[in-house]
Amino acid sequence: MTRRTYLIKRVLQAVFSLWIIATILFFLFRMGLPDPTSVLITEGLNAEQRAAVRAQFGLEDPLWRQYVLFLTNAVQGEFGTSFSYRAPVSEIVWERLGNTMVLMLAAIVLAYAIGVPLGAWLSWRRGSSTDTVGIFVGLMFRSAPMFWTGMIAILIFGVGLSMFPTSGMRTLPYDADGFLDKIFTLDFLWHAILPVLIVALYYLGSPMLIMRNTMLEVYGEDFIEMARAKGLPERDILYKHAARNALLPVVTQLAVTIGLAAGGQVVVEVVFSWPGLGREILNAVRTSDFPLAQASFLIMAAFVISLNLLVDILYTTLDPRVSFR
Amino acid sequence: MTLPPILRAAMGPLRLMVQDRLAVIGMCVLGVIIAMALFAPLLSPHDPRHINEIEDGSVLVRGSDAWELRESLGPLALNDAAHHAGQSVIVGRSGTVWTRAAAGDWTRAEVETEADLNAVDLNADGRAIAVGGLGTILLGNGTGWQVVPAPEADLRSVIWLDAVTALIVGANEEIWLLDATAGNIVEIDSPVGRGFPLNAVALDADGTALIVGERGLAIRYDPDTGTAALERIGSSRDLNHIHIAPGGAALVVGERGTLLRRDSADGAWVTDPAPDTRALRAGWIGDDGRAVAAGRNGIIMEWDGTAWQIVPTESERHLRALLVVGDDWLALGSDRFVTRLSPPSREHWFGTDHLGRDLFSQNVHGSQIALLVGFLGATLVVLIGTNVGLIAGYYRGRTETILMRTVDVMYGIPFEPFALILVLLFQPSLTIVILAVSLLTWRTVARLIRSQVLSLRERPFVKAARVAGASDLRIMYLHIFPNVLPLVFLELAIIVGVSIIAEATLSFLGLGPPQSISWGGILHDARLSGAWRTAWWWNLPPGILIMTTVLSVFFISRSLEVVANPRLRARQ
Amino acid sequence: MLAGTSMLAMAGFAAPGIAQEHVASVEIFTTTESYDPIRYEGAFIIADAWRELGLDVSVRPMEFSTLLDRFYSEQDFDATILGWSGRVDRLDPQFFLGTLDSRQAALGANNPGGYNNPDYDALYDAQGAEFDIEARRDIVHEMQDLYMGDVPVVVLFHRDEVVAYNNTQFTNMNAMAGEGLYSEWVPMEAQPVGDRTTLRIGGPQEPDNVNPLASTSVWGWKWMRMYYDRLVRLSPDVEPVPWAASSVDPVDDVTIDVTLREGMTFHDGEPLTAEDIAFTFNYYMDSEYSYFNSYLAPVESVEVTGDLTVRFNLSEPSAPFATITLSQIPILPAHIWSEIENPQDLTPEEIPTVGSGPFAFDRYDRGEFMSLTTNRDHFHADEIAVDGVEFVIYADAEGVFTALQTGQIDMTAWRMEPGQIPLAEGNDDLTVVSVPDFGYFHMTYNTRREPFDDRAVRRALTMAMDRERMVNVLLDGRGEVGTTVVAPVNAFWHNPFVERFEYDMDAARAELEAAGYSWDSDGRLQR
Repeated sequence: MTRRTYLIKRVLQAVFSLWIIATILFFLFRMGLPDPTSVLITEGLNAEQRAAVRAQFGLEDPLWRQYVLFLTNAVQGEFGTSFSYRAPVSEIVWERLGNTMVLMLAAIVLAYAIGVPLGAWLSWRRGSSTDTVGIFVGLMFRSAPMFWTGMIAILIFGVGLSMFPTSGMRTLPYDADGFLDKIFTLDFLWHAILPVLIVALYYLGSPMLIMRNTMLEVYGEDFIEMARAKGLPERDILYKHAARNALLPVVTQLAVTIGLAAGGQVVVEVVFSWPGLGREILNAVRTSDFPLAQASFLIMAAFVISLNLLVDILYTTLDPRVSFR
Repeated sequence: MTLPPILRAAMGPLRLMVQDRLAVIGMCVLGVIIAMALFAPLLSPHDPRHINEIEDGSVLVRGSDAWELRESLGPLALNDAAHHAGQSVIVGRSGTVWTRAAAGDWTRAEVETEADLNAVDLNADGRAIAVGGLGTILLGNGTGWQVVPAPEADLRSVIWLDAVTALIVGANEEIWLLDATAGNIVEIDSPVGRGFPLNAVALDADGTALIVGERGLAIRYDPDTGTAALERIGSSRDLNHIHIAPGGAALVVGERGTLLRRDSADGAWVTDPAPDTRALRAGWIGDDGRAVAAGRNGIIMEWDGTAWQIVPTESERHLRALLVVGDDWLALGSDRFVTRLSPPSREHWFGTDHLGRDLFSQNVHGSQIALLVGFLGATLVVLIGTNVGLIAGYYRGRTETILMRTVDVMYGIPFEPFALILVLLFQPSLTIVILAVSLLTWRTVARLIRSQVLSLRERPFVKAARVAGASDLRIMYLHIFPNVLPLVFLELAIIVGVSIIAEATLSFLGLGPPQSISWGGILHDARLSGAWRTAWWWNLPPGILIMTTVLSVFFISRSLEVVANPRLRARQ
Repeated sequence: MLAGTSMLAMAGFAAPGIAQEHVASVEIFTTTESYDPIRYEGAFIIADAWRELGLDVSVRPMEFSTLLDRFYSEQDFDATILGWSGRVDRLDPQFFLGTLDSRQAALGANNPGGYNNPDYDALYDAQGAEFDIEARRDIVHEMQDLYMGDVPVVVLFHRDEVVAYNNTQFTNMNAMAGEGLYSEWVPMEAQPVGDRTTLRIGGPQEPDNVNPLASTSVWGWKWMRMYYDRLVRLSPDVEPVPWAASSVDPVDDVTIDVTLREGMTFHDGEPLTAEDIAFTFNYYMDSEYSYFNSYLAPVESVEVTGDLTVRFNLSEPSAPFATITLSQIPILPAHIWSEIENPQDLTPEEIPTVGSGPFAFDRYDRGEFMSLTTNRDHFHADEIAVDGVEFVIYADAEGVFTALQTGQIDMTAWRMEPGQIPLAEGNDDLTVVSVPDFGYFHMTYNTRREPFDDRAVRRALTMAMDRERMVNVLLDGRGEVGTTVVAPVNAFWHNPFVERFEYDMDAARAELEAAGYSWDSDGRLQR
C-alpha cells in the first residue's frame, strides 16, 4: 500500500466514524426527546401553537425524512435554527469552536513543550530525588480534577491576589474585527493564562512520564552505546540521539490526549466562564435546545476526529518505517 | 500446591506491588479510603443531608459600630424582655426566665412551668407578668413566680394597664383582662372575631392599649369603656410587635420589613421604606427620635432621623426582642437558626455548607460513590475491553475490522459532552454515570489487549494447543488470557483512577444522581451557591480526597506497569 | 359506660376489621439541582413531612424540558413543583387567576392540575368583563377566597429578587416589583453622579434575538421595549399611563378610541401615524408569532379613523385591555415591516431595529455587548439624564458580580447568588436592593388523581408543609410564604383575608381523620 492510498483510506475511515456518530446522535435525540417544544409552554404557547413550531422545525415529518434532511444539512454545515437563540446554529457554533480550539491547543502545546524536555531531563537524573519529585508532581496534577485545581487557582490568583481575571476571554466591551483581531491582544493573553496553565498542568504528566520511560529504554540500545564509544558529549547523546528516537510514543500519546482534552474542555470552560463549545453544549442541554446541542456535539466530534487524523498523518511523516497496513 | 494458571498469573503482579514502596503507600491510602466508604455511617458524626439548626439564648449588644454577640444565655431561645427602674427580665422558651438587677449579671429564675413564655411586662411597682403557650400566666414579685390558672390558649403578649390589671392577647384573637390580685380573667370581645392571631400589645400615651396582629390588624382597647375597636394603621401585613414610648412616639414592625412609625401621640402612622425585606420581630422607639428594629437572620436596622439603616451584625440568628436600658441596647434571640457556612469547629470538623449541612459527613459519604463508580466502572470497562481485544486479536479478519472500526468511532466521541447528552435524554442516575464512564473508556483497553493478543497468537504454545484440537474459546480464555492478565490488572488500576475523576466531573457539572453525595457533587454545590470564594473549608477537602484516591491508584498501577510490558507506559 | 362504648365504636370505625386500603404512593416532580437548587431541596423537605403523615412519597428531579412536558403537555404527574415568573403584565390578576379556570385544563394549557369549580369559572368571566375597578376587585377577592379552601395549588413562596447598583455612578435607581432594577424606567430616571453618562447593565442572560416577531424571551423584550414605544406604558407603580397615545377613550364596552401624541417620529425620521398603529396590530394578528396571542385575543379589528386616531373593536368586553394589550404591543414602523413577508425567517443581520422609543438601537454583539443611545427627539427626552444604555453579557453570575465590584458595570440585570449578597452588602459603593416578586413557586396537585382528588388530603398535605422554614432555610429569609395566586405585594388585588395553611402536623392529622383516613400499625396512611 502506498502512502497515498493509506491516507485516502484513513480519511474515508474518519468520514465513516463521523457518519456513525451523527446517526447515533440523531436517533438518541429523537428517542429521548420526542417533543422538545415543551420548553415553549412557559412562553405561553398552547398546544396548537407548539404544533406550528414543531412543523417549522420539521419535527412533524416522518423519521427517515428528518434523518436524511439532518444529514444533508450537516454535510453543508447547516444545522438549522437554534431553539433558544432563534438564530442559525452554525453561526454560534463556529465562533465557539474557535474559542475552544485556542484554549485547548495552547494548553496542549504548552504541556508538550514543557513535558517532553522535562521527561528527558528526568530520565537523565533517573533514580535521584529530583526524578522522584518530578514523577510525584506530574502524577499529582494528573490526579487532581481540572475543575478543582481551576477553582483553587481562581481563588488564589483571581480573587485573593487579583492578578488575573476570573472569567471570560476579553474585558467587555471591546471592538474587534474578526477572530484573530480578538485573540491577538494582551487583554486576551491576560484572560487566557490561568485556564491554559490549569489544562497544561493536567496533561503535563503523560508526555513527561512517557518521554522519561522511553528515554530509559533508548539508553540501552546499541546506537547510544556506539555514540558513547565514539566519545560524544553526554548532552549531545541525550538531545540529538536518544530524544529523537523517543519521540514516537509521545506523538502516539498526543492523539489520545487530544481526544480527551476536547471533551474535557467542558469543565474548564465552565469554571473559567470561557465562551467555548463545551459550555455551549452544557447550556444547550440545560435549555433543551436540541439543534444547538446536536450541532455542538457533532462539531466537537468532527474536531476530535480530524485532529486524530492529523496526528496519524504526522506520525507517518515522522516515522517512515510505519507500514501502511 | 499447584495453582490454576489464572491464579498463578495473578500472583506475579501482587508480589511486584509489595516490592515497590510507592505502591505500598498507594495501597495503604486506598485501604483507608475503602474503609471510609465501608464504614461511612459509623464515621460520620452527622447525617450528611440533615440541615443543622440550633436554638440559642443569644444576646447581642450594640457596640460602637456593630452589634456584637455576647455569651449566650443557655440553649433556649429568648422571646421577650422588659425593664423598669433598674430591674430587667427576659423570658424565653420552655419556661426560661432570666432576671437582672441594675448592672449585675443575668440569673436564671425558677418557675413552675415548662411552657414557652412569649412576653413579659413590668409595672411601676416592679411586679412582673409573663405569658406564654398553653394558657400560661406567671406573676412575679421580685422574689418568686406563681402560676395563675387560665384556660388553654397560645398567649402572645401582655401589658400592665395599671398596678393590678393586665391586658393579654393571644393567637386565637383572645383579648383577656386579668385582675392580678383576684386572679380572674375577663374576655373582651374582639371587633373582628375571625380567630386571627394577635401578636403584640402596647400601652398608648392616653392610657388606652393598642393591639396588633396578623394581616395588618390593629385593635384599640379602651379601659374606660372596656371595649375594643378596630383601628386602621395602614398595612395588611402580619404585624409582629409594637412599642410606644411614654411621650407617644410609636413603632410597629412586621413581616417583610414592615415598619410603621408615628412621631407623636396624635401624629399619623407612616409606612417607612425598609432596607431589607425580611421579617422584623421587635422594635423600639424613643420620644427623642431614636429607633431600632430587629428581626430574622440577624437583621438590625436603626433610624438615623431620615431613613432606616441596616447595621452590621455577625449573626444568622433570628432576633426576637429588644431591651433598651439607657444607652445599653440589647437584641435577644433566637429560634432555631441554620448554622450555615460555619468554618470548621469541634461540632463540624470540616464546617458546614450553605444549608448548614455537615461537610465532614458529606466528604466521608462521598467516598462511597467514588469507589463504587471507580471499581464498578473499571470492572465493566475491563470486561468489555478485554473481550473485544481478545476476540479481535484472535479471530482477526472481518471480526477484527468491525470491532476495531467501532473502537475508532469511539475515539471520535468526546467524553463529557456525550455524558451530558446521555443525562439530558435519560435523566441523571447512577446507572447513567457508570454507563457513560464505561461506554467510552473501553476503547483504550480493547486496543492494547488486541495488540498483545496479536503477538501471543503466533507463539508456539498457542499453535500447540490448536494442533491438539483445543476449541477457540479454550485457547482464548485458558491459554492466551492468563498471559494478558498483568496488562488487564494494569488497565484496571488506571481505569479506576480515570473513572473516579470522570464521576467527579459529571457530578461537578450537576449530572450526578440526585440526592447522592459525592465529592464532585460537594464542589458542584459550593460553586452553585456562590459562596465558594470565601468558604475554603467547602472547596478544599473534596478535591484533596479525589486527588489522593486517584494518586494512590496511580502509584499501584505504576508498579504493575513493569510486569505488564516494559514497553507500555502510563498513557493517560 | 355509654361514653366508653361509643368511643370504642368510633375507634373501631378506623381500626382493623374493615378492609382498608393504603393510600396510593405519590411522586413529587421537581427540577434538577443544577436548574434550581431551591425547588429541588424544597421537594425533599415537603416529601419528608408527607412521609411523617404516613404517605409513601418519592421525589423525582427532572430536566426542565421533560418536567414541563410531563406537567403541561401530558398532565402525567401526581404533584409538581414549578414556578410562574412575575412579568409586569401579570400584575393584572387575569393571568394568574386563569391558571385555575377549568376551561384552561386541556392538555398543554395553563391549568394542568385540572381544578374544576363552576362558581370560580363564572366569577372569572365576570371579573374579566367588569370595568369598574372596585367592583372587579371585589370579584377578584371573592375568587381567591373561593378557591383557597380547596387548595388545588399551593403557592409555596415568593422569592425576593436581590439586585445591586453602584451608588458612586448613578442615583435615583428605583426598583420595580417583579422587574428589579432592569425595568424600562430605571434608564429613564437614573441620574449619573460619576464620570460616565451611559448606564451600564450587566447580566448573565441575553436576548434570544431582537426580532419583535420572533423573540419569546423576557430578555429580548426587556431590551426591545426601550427602543420601541407602546401606546400605554405601565408606571413603576403599574398604573397605565398614556405614552404614545395622548388619550384612550372607551366609546362603549367593546369600542375604544385611541388618539396619538402629535409630532412623534421613528428613529429614521419618518413620522409615526395612526397607519403604523393599525398596521402593527393587524400585522401581529396575521402573523404566526404567538407570544402576544393572549393579549391580542380580545381585539377584533383595528381601524384608522384619522391621521392620529385609531379605533379598536373588541370581540368581548375586556377589563385588562388597557393595562395588558395596549402596554405590551410595540409600535412597529409600517414603512419598514410592510415589506417583510416572513418576519420569523429574518437572519440576525436583516432584523430591522427602527423604533420610536426614548432610546435608539446602536449595536448588538452576540454573547458580549449591546448598546442604545438616547433619542433626543423623543417627547420624553428632557426627563432622561443618561446618554445611552449599555448591556454587557457575562458568562455567569460570577462574572457579573466581579464586574459590579470592580466598577465595570453599574447595575445587575439579574438577581445575585445568595453567597454574593453579603459581599455586596459589605461594599460601601454598592447599594443592595431587595425586590419582592409577585411571581411564585407553586406545588400543583393533580386533582384528577388519587389521592389528590380528595380535598381533605390536599388540605392536610398543605398543612404539613413548613413553608416558613423553607423560606428561612432555602431563601435565607429573603422571600415570603405564599397565600393566594395573587401575591401580597400586588396589594390592590390581593385578598389578605383568605384561609391560610400554617404548618401544623396535628391539624393535618385531624383533617385526615375527619375525612375517614387512618393509619396502620406501620404508620402508613390508609382509608
